[in-house]
Amino acid sequence: MSIEIRSVSKKFSAFNALSDVSLTVPSGELVALLGPSGSGKTTLLRIIAGLESPDQGSILFDGEEATNRQVRERQVGFVFQHYALFRHMTVFDNVAFGLNVRPRKFRPSKADIQEKVHGLLKLVQLDNLAGRYPAQLSGGQRQRVALARALAVEPQVLLLDEPFGALDAKVRLELRRWLRRLHDEIHVTSVFVTHDQDEALEVADRVVVMNAGRIEQVGTPEEVYDRPANPFVYNFLGNVNLFHGRVDKGEARIGGIAIDMPELGEADAGPAVAYVRPYDIEINRQRHSPEEIEARIRFIQGAGAVARLELERLDSLELIEAEMTRERYKELALAEGETVFLRPRNMRVFAGDYII
Amino acid sequence: MKTDGKGMSEPLLVRWLLTGIALAFLGLFLFVPLAALFTQAFEKGAGAYFAAIREPDALLAIKLTLVTAAISVPLNLVFGVAAAWAIAKFRFPGKSLLITLIDLPFSVSPVVSGLIYVLLFGLQGWLGPWLDAHDIKILFAVPGIVLATIFVTFPFIARELIPLMQAQGNDEEEAAMVLGATGLQIFFQVTLPNIKWGLIYGVILCNARAMGEFGAVSVVSGHIRGVTNTIPLHVEILYNEYNYAAAFAVASLLALLALVTLVAKSLVEWKLKASG
Repeated sequence: MSIEIRSVSKKFSAFNALSDVSLTVPSGELVALLGPSGSGKTTLLRIIAGLESPDQGSILFDGEEATNRQVRERQVGFVFQHYALFRHMTVFDNVAFGLNVRPRKFRPSKADIQEKVHGLLKLVQLDNLAGRYPAQLSGGQRQRVALARALAVEPQVLLLDEPFGALDAKVRLELRRWLRRLHDEIHVTSVFVTHDQDEALEVADRVVVMNAGRIEQVGTPEEVYDRPANPFVYNFLGNVNLFHGRVDKGEARIGGIAIDMPELGEADAGPAVAYVRPYDIEINRQRHSPEEIEARIRFIQGAGAVARLELERLDSLELIEAEMTRERYKELALAEGETVFLRPRNMRVFAGDYII
Repeated sequence: MKTDGKGMSEPLLVRWLLTGIALAFLGLFLFVPLAALFTQAFEKGAGAYFAAIREPDALLAIKLTLVTAAISVPLNLVFGVAAAWAIAKFRFPGKSLLITLIDLPFSVSPVVSGLIYVLLFGLQGWLGPWLDAHDIKILFAVPGIVLATIFVTFPFIARELIPLMQAQGNDEEEAAMVLGATGLQIFFQVTLPNIKWGLIYGVILCNARAMGEFGAVSVVSGHIRGVTNTIPLHVEILYNEYNYAAAFAVASLLALLALVTLVAKSLVEWKLKASG
């Protein structure tokens, strides 16, 4: 089932949780709502579920108006951040709940429910724990029970609120890969909320980057990572270095480097900020061109596949982060305190004095 | 870190002294009076004890107490659950006012509570003349006693449930709603099982107070023997008539109720801990 959100706004007293948000989630896609806390991503998810109602705008399921449809008629599966398992019910009863509360006419027979629940518990690899209570399960197990419970009612849409937020790093990693595989198997339209960029980039078909109640960018993980639409997205997705400069006459000057920006007209003279990923900072021991920036190495973290360096510009004393492969690091044989020459590649310039 | 290490505990003498004081205090103010009560009650033998309880006025007092509790406890159960549900699960204007109002019977002397009813329903009161004209008796009759008891015992269940339900939050109810449960299904299958032990605990306290209430009931009852006397009022009458043995015999019933309440309360507390 496809979901369409049409200019939805929501206020909580004076706080604008969502301002005029529009988004389309095509059927069968796995979409991540990514943003910092307070960006409105959970509110948007709850509005899709019907747990909150929008002040303005509408929600359409498969092109049909659903804004005022009752929560229980929306056929959505919702996985809560803190699982919200029924604490007084066993794992089996938790998963069976959605089937047991159906009106008698639509309720499957006891045997069918048995079969269905055990099938789902097998799917989430918890069939041997059907008789346990939530309190007796680990965080990862509870999360999978919550997922099985949501899937039991055969939802048209699966909504997950920070599904791995409360888990430790290793379980998180396992579970999100598992969620991706599960989605590839059952292909239910899914939306999940996260503040973890790695999670969004790894799991989702498309990433919706949100900030302060608005959508900043929608795109595939590659699109949002490689071609961020604006400084916020650049900053939010991964580490980044800032270089301040000016734009004038269709050209940006960042330090000694000139970059053509034909998209900017004559009128756009003013400050500009260039963004460079740490791995796009090239480090040399000798100066090759006058454009290169002189910097001193303050700190090196050489363990692991990627070496991370913290450098200080000699001219402005600003800090710069750089990353290089292990081989390059060994080849250069850098040491803390040395002076080196930096050359930023793939600069992305945004006009205006954007301050984080 | 071990908390029972030498450095963390008080000297032996201090511990013994503190425990001793607590036990002595408990003995002096709880067990001695309780023992005295039962000694006095059986002073004239078991025959006199049971006669005092089986006497028609005493039986009527017991019956009225039971009827009062049987009406006020269920009403407060419904009210308490409704109020706690509203306060814990919804945002609405006037919420803090409602919380204050629920606490009102705790902060007002029971005698004042009784007087409020006299002011409302008495012949000189606001509704008195109208009630009198329609021949409806509230004051100095059973309805007055029931009303006063409801008022006094009103906070017990709500007060017990509000923090519990606030701590549990809305998540499970929302989960049930998304899974297609109706309001009634959510209440009976999700909310009620989660608050069950807290609710029982509140009912036990509410019931104990409903049966033992003296002040408010005393003001509205009019002390009509065999008509508007509850157990506490009957004890007072017997006592004022220097009929000590009978007074203590009837009073021992309330003491027994207190003991049963304590046992039930500890059992539920233990269950609450186990399920929490």
